[in-house]
Amino acid sequence: MKPPRMLAVPFFFGNALGEADNPEYQHQILQATFALLDRDQGPVLEQLPDDMVPDILMQGSETTNESQEKGLSAADEVTSLRAYYEQWSGAHAGRTAVGLSTIPQRRFRGIVRFIEGYISGEESDMKERPRDFTIPQFIRYCVDDLKAFYYEARMAQRPDGKDREIHDWFWSETAVGALIMALGQRMRIDEDGETQAVAYGIAR
Amino acid sequence: MPKLSALNEIQRKSMLMWPCLEHDDTPWAPMAKPLSQSKLGLVTTAGLHLRTDKPFIAVHEGGDTSFRVIPRSAKADEILQSHTSIGFDHTGIYRDINVTFPIDRLQELVDQKKIGSLSDNYYSFMGALRDVSDIVENTGPEVARRLKDEGVEVVLLTPT
Repeated sequence: MKPPRMLAVPFFFGNALGEADNPEYQHQILQATFALLDRDQGPVLEQLPDDMVPDILMQGSETTNESQEKGLSAADEVTSLRAYYEQWSGAHAGRTAVGLSTIPQRRFRGIVRFIEGYISGEESDMKERPRDFTIPQFIRYCVDDLKAFYYEARMAQRPDGKDREIHDWFWSETAVGALIMALGQRMRIDEDGETQAVAYGIAR
Repeated sequence: MPKLSALNEIQRKSMLMWPCLEHDDTPWAPMAKPLSQSKLGLVTTAGLHLRTDKPFIAVHEGGDTSFRVIPRSAKADEILQSHTSIGFDHTGIYRDINVTFPIDRLQELVDQKKIGSLSDNYYSFMGALRDVSDIVENTGPEVARRLKDEGVEVVLLTPT
């Protein structure tokens, strides 16, 4: 592409500065980046001298979800994680990645029922859905909120847990992980192009 | 991004087939003064926006090429991510927004007098687009104009 100055880093997509909660390392990345400003000719393409090999993102389809065999209810699971989610949010001065759907987290049992109804072919909707969100868009934001809620709850529950372990838990063990996989399958076979486009970003 | 050798086969093929723009030349602007005397702006393709702003959407053909303005004064708890790609891991940014949008790190560099100043507004696009022609022709130049109007001399782009 030939950008004027570029530092190529080996980190996985979404982690341009290397590692969360590691300000010192993030500063090293920035220092290496800004050092490129001193060059008098371009394009400059430098590789970060780091042999870190990132964890590759695990996809839901790589695992077998055991929640149905264990008889877990997605709605009850949401309720059981609420205290951990609130613990995470409280410990981070209210910062949370939850919020795209605009539905408050205490109404997430309602989101689960909405998605369950949608998968089973009902005319499913939520009265709180902002009218400028189409139903497929709204589903997408609900799924993003559920994922963020679960991941933040898990990070409070297991503060030392690695990212890969959280993905594995979410897709292999949780009822909501199974629900989202089923939702993705339901949306992929829909005849509506918008629904299919949204399905691609929900689960695979 | 990781080296291709670190990706699994599906991801590697996806990257190799990605419709990247190929340019014949490179725009080049030498630094007129040190970074410690320059104004820096931050642009990301992480699909970030204010909690009160419109999320990016998945249904535009080729992807959503619009941009969002994020005031420098915005706190981390006011910013959400609605990037539509499932091909990247959100866990890092759940933990720490600086891993892709280094707002605190840049302020620290200003406090240490290593960066002269920061722009009042930062900008966010969504990456993983298959058709960037609207960014090339419209939204990209619009953001560049806004940055120039604000006197920005250096831009840090954090891709996703």
